[in-house]
Amino acid sequence: MAAQLNLSGPPNSDLSSLTDQSVSSRTSNRSLRVAEKERRKNEAEDPSVLALKYFSDVEAGTPVIGNDDVERNLVLVEKVAYRNGLSPEAISIMLEFAMSLRMGHSLCPRVLKCLIPVTVVPQEAVVRAVAWLGVDKIPVSTQVLFIKWVLTVFDMIDAKDQLRAIYGFIFSFVSEENLCPFICHLLYLLTTKQIVRVFRVRKLLELQSKLGRQPFLLNLLSLYKVFCPELVTLSIPSRSKSVFKNHNMPWKSALIAVQKRNGSQVASSISLASASKDRTNRRKRKHHHLELPVLSSVVNKEPQTETSRRLVPLVQIQSVAELLENMDHIELPAQMGSLLGSSLALQYLDCVQDESALLRLNFWLGYALHEELLFCGDGGASQNSEESLQFLDKLLSTQHFLQEGFSSSEAFLYKFLNVWDGSLLRPQILGLLSNIPVVPSSQIGRLLFEPLMQLFFTSSVFFKCGLIECLNNMLLKWLTWHSVYALEDDLDISLNSHTSINMTLSGFKDSVMELVDFVGRLASIGLQLEGCHCLLLSCILDFYTMVCDMFLKYGLPLVVMPPSGVFYPALFATDPVSVDRLAFIMYRYKVNLTSAKSQEKLTEQAFHISRQTFREFNYYTVYMVNCLWNSKMFQPGTGVQLGEELLLKSNVPQYWTSFDLVHHPAFMSYAVDFHQKCWIGKKDIDLDSIKHQKPWSWYLQYLFSQGYDGLKLFVQSNIKAGQGDGQQGDGQGDRQQGDSLPT
Amino acid sequence: MSAADETPDMERHQNSVMRTPLNSVAVQRRSKNKSYRLSYRNRIGAASRLGLTPGLTARRLNTSRKAPKSNKITVTTEQLTLLVKTEWKLSYVTPLYRFRHTQLKIYSRQLSAFIAAEKQQGLAVDVEGTQNTFRVSFSLVLGMTESVDDAVTVHIQIHSKPLFAKQDEPQKPVWSGWLTCINGNPEYLRSLPKDFICLPLFCSSGAGGLTSLVKSWFQQSFDCCFGPLEISHTSLQWLMALWTNCQSESSIRQLKMIWTLPVEPQLQVTYTVDAEDAWELWSSVRKKNTAGEGEENSIDIEEVMSFMQGLKAHFFRHFRLDLSAGSLNEVSTALGSAKHSGMIKFSNSKYMITTLMLLTECALLKMPI
Repeated sequence: MAAQLNLSGPPNSDLSSLTDQSVSSRTSNRSLRVAEKERRKNEAEDPSVLALKYFSDVEAGTPVIGNDDVERNLVLVEKVAYRNGLSPEAISIMLEFAMSLRMGHSLCPRVLKCLIPVTVVPQEAVVRAVAWLGVDKIPVSTQVLFIKWVLTVFDMIDAKDQLRAIYGFIFSFVSEENLCPFICHLLYLLTTKQIVRVFRVRKLLELQSKLGRQPFLLNLLSLYKVFCPELVTLSIPSRSKSVFKNHNMPWKSALIAVQKRNGSQVASSISLASASKDRTNRRKRKHHHLELPVLSSVVNKEPQTETSRRLVPLVQIQSVAELLENMDHIELPAQMGSLLGSSLALQYLDCVQDESALLRLNFWLGYALHEELLFCGDGGASQNSEESLQFLDKLLSTQHFLQEGFSSSEAFLYKFLNVWDGSLLRPQILGLLSNIPVVPSSQIGRLLFEPLMQLFFTSSVFFKCGLIECLNNMLLKWLTWHSVYALEDDLDISLNSHTSINMTLSGFKDSVMELVDFVGRLASIGLQLEGCHCLLLSCILDFYTMVCDMFLKYGLPLVVMPPSGVFYPALFATDPVSVDRLAFIMYRYKVNLTSAKSQEKLTEQAFHISRQTFREFNYYTVYMVNCLWNSKMFQPGTGVQLGEELLLKSNVPQYWTSFDLVHHPAFMSYAVDFHQKCWIGKKDIDLDSIKHQKPWSWYLQYLFSQGYDGLKLFVQSNIKAGQGDGQQGDGQGDRQQGDSLPT
Repeated sequence: MSAADETPDMERHQNSVMRTPLNSVAVQRRSKNKSYRLSYRNRIGAASRLGLTPGLTARRLNTSRKAPKSNKITVTTEQLTLLVKTEWKLSYVTPLYRFRHTQLKIYSRQLSAFIAAEKQQGLAVDVEGTQNTFRVSFSLVLGMTESVDDAVTVHIQIHSKPLFAKQDEPQKPVWSGWLTCINGNPEYLRSLPKDFICLPLFCSSGAGGLTSLVKSWFQQSFDCCFGPLEISHTSLQWLMALWTNCQSESSIRQLKMIWTLPVEPQLQVTYTVDAEDAWELWSSVRKKNTAGEGEENSIDIEEVMSFMQGLKAHFFRHFRLDLSAGSLNEVSTALGSAKHSGMIKFSNSKYMITTLMLLTECALLKMPI
């Protein structure tokens, strides 16, 4: 066991210092031998150390045939190698032994095959071995085997700088036909921008004319093209996979086995794919405007930028770490549209501040959208809807990632809404629509409301729900945007010099107001048209759940009440959830208004909430309390007024109680259930009995326990404690809110 | 109706409907002005995150334009012969990013290498090498501008040897095309950052394969996009009027229109009017020129529409067929011809500029931003 440890890793400080020496400072062969002598003192009895020593010391020209020592020692080394892998210095010794052909070339492949590293491969050893290649005595098959080995362990070589330094030397082997594919692969792994030169390009092109279009040459050339597009032009057929063949490497399985045994995961990327794009097999289409351009670097570089600082093309960036490292000197790709195709590039797009770059992206995106959905040169978009769908989904996820819409998609939508039938790609179009940034209130009607109104009134209830939800999201984005920037700028909303349309706070408020009013109008009429469809009502209440909290949640000094066309349908809804949500919304309005009012008193830059808003709020609250709590539905002076005689004619007994918490159609079933639980065994149900003081408070507890938190909050904030008697209390529902707030 | 006219395809749908000519002029477009995304100041100080805001004002196709004059353009006759008497296929192009009029030599080399590489997929091509089967030459067409904001027109020609050519046979031109901008909307042109060169009109003639190669090279090199440019119904009518207006100076020989009527089977009507008759009709609908002495003689859309009305009425009187129900597909005179599908031919260089101004306007209307 100790022996194995010695070979596969440093067991004590002595050895670790040796390893350090050999790995990091790369001592010469001689000092290695000195160290070896030292080690011999300590570990003289260790057989595998002795075996290694044998290979490092063996005289050149020692015969192989009939030499039992070699056989014995090699078996020892192999045993260790296949079980635990070889330590860096062992690799050095064995590689040197094999490549120097000290005992001829017959042992060479066998030794190479057992070079399974346990941790790293010293670069120096590889460089020395490459040097031996030049001596020209090694058979070609062994040379190939050696390069294959280097390719396999490439990721485990501890440094690459010296290997890059001899790039030219390695390059010279490309002309050897058998070695060429493997050398190309190795060069591929070593190539940097500085290395790409005209004469190398020429040499490869010359080889290409001799050997034909070989994938390995193509791969190397395409990498050269990435670095220096001005030197080489190449178009890769869409079918061909430009990935280096994963040659049948003899070490791979052994390496994985050794690593598994040692519990380390070093060479994760043995199969190194080239940087080529993976083109999905797209269906052939006549037009290609929806295809994302391929990420490629710029051919015609601007001279001044090259001198000022070294730019790294985005194509060459492979990881987020690299991206961060080069963040301030990244060269944008030749086609900005290509950024949408790579998630890494998207990360970068978020930081792009270059106006021209964004304009390029917008030109491309706008062009694609226009051609696909507006101009539709060849008979409508329906035939390519699958591609359109994918494209729009991609666009949506991009906008979602950037948390911002592209201005070209905005411009496109303003045109598209006029010709849209409301069903083509509905989720996507509504998704894009909800990303539209704030539109000035003077334009919002013409650009958005007119086309949307037409669509809304002529489409199904599901479209109506979709649109309300979309406008809800739009408002959410506007408000979020406001709260972020208003906070950052300390409410200094003067715009910077770039902006020509001034969006002041009051301008923003106007736009929000317009939007909320518009949804209010749509909602009122929509509910009428659809007979208070409960899904639509739910979407509308979603919207008002956000609207009522604009001041507290998003810091926008604006309170807008829902129109009566929304309030009454929600209050008289047949499902308890809607009533509960309305109660919650009213509660939040109250909290917002109260806080706004107190703030108005505190700060000087008070904002103005119109008297009308307070009046509306008070009115709604009073009405709700009267209706649900006091059983006084048709009080004179309220909005819903019916003639006395008309009400009598309807033959509804005690019509004034019809919508109290007991008789309200939404809660009736609860009242019945409560009644049965409260008066067990009582046959005839008298719901009015619930209204007595005790049962009433129990009934409330019962309702609240069913999860009607909105109702609970509403009751708690609007009805003073201790005035639980629904029947007798006449003023308990009174607003806490003064209705005579200063204007 | 007005919004629908933005798209040529909508126009097709409407062919069965009686068109109200005056409404159909309203080709709308939202121009991009200099404004950025409305935005509160953001931390870094750049408000435009994802680009320019689409302008919020609508723009239409001009309803009035200058009467064509036989203006002496200063283009050399050599270059002019390259442009006239060829039927060009029209496309619109979004602004070219970092196109330099000074680097045409380099572009020639790059494009020829690109074509060679694309023709032999998977074979790398040396950009510096000269042994290409395709020789590309870029050249400037100087003197073909109307306003100071117009970028200089660029002409591209591709020469090649026929497949079974003799050794010493010279290369022949196999493809040509040009990018131009004549009297482009100054507001639009000035709103672009200086890195962009706007040459919105692309005319090409030659093998379709080469056209798409040239387009994709431009796309990759200058991050631009190409889309087909049709000549709309209204534009065709404009061309008829503009050309007829030249009759006094240079004979148009005859005014020929090809109409398609939506009946089963489709009926195609070729309607030819003698030059003199057309001129007489045109003169009768021309309004009294209210412009003072020395001012530009301008033509109004109403005059164009009355001219069309006159032609249609005449046709109806003879054949009881209302052409308003059909669509105008093709117009031709001795000065040139134009097709709805986006083909144009200039037969007389004198009046080319006027036509190109109209086409530049159409191309700019197609810009996505």
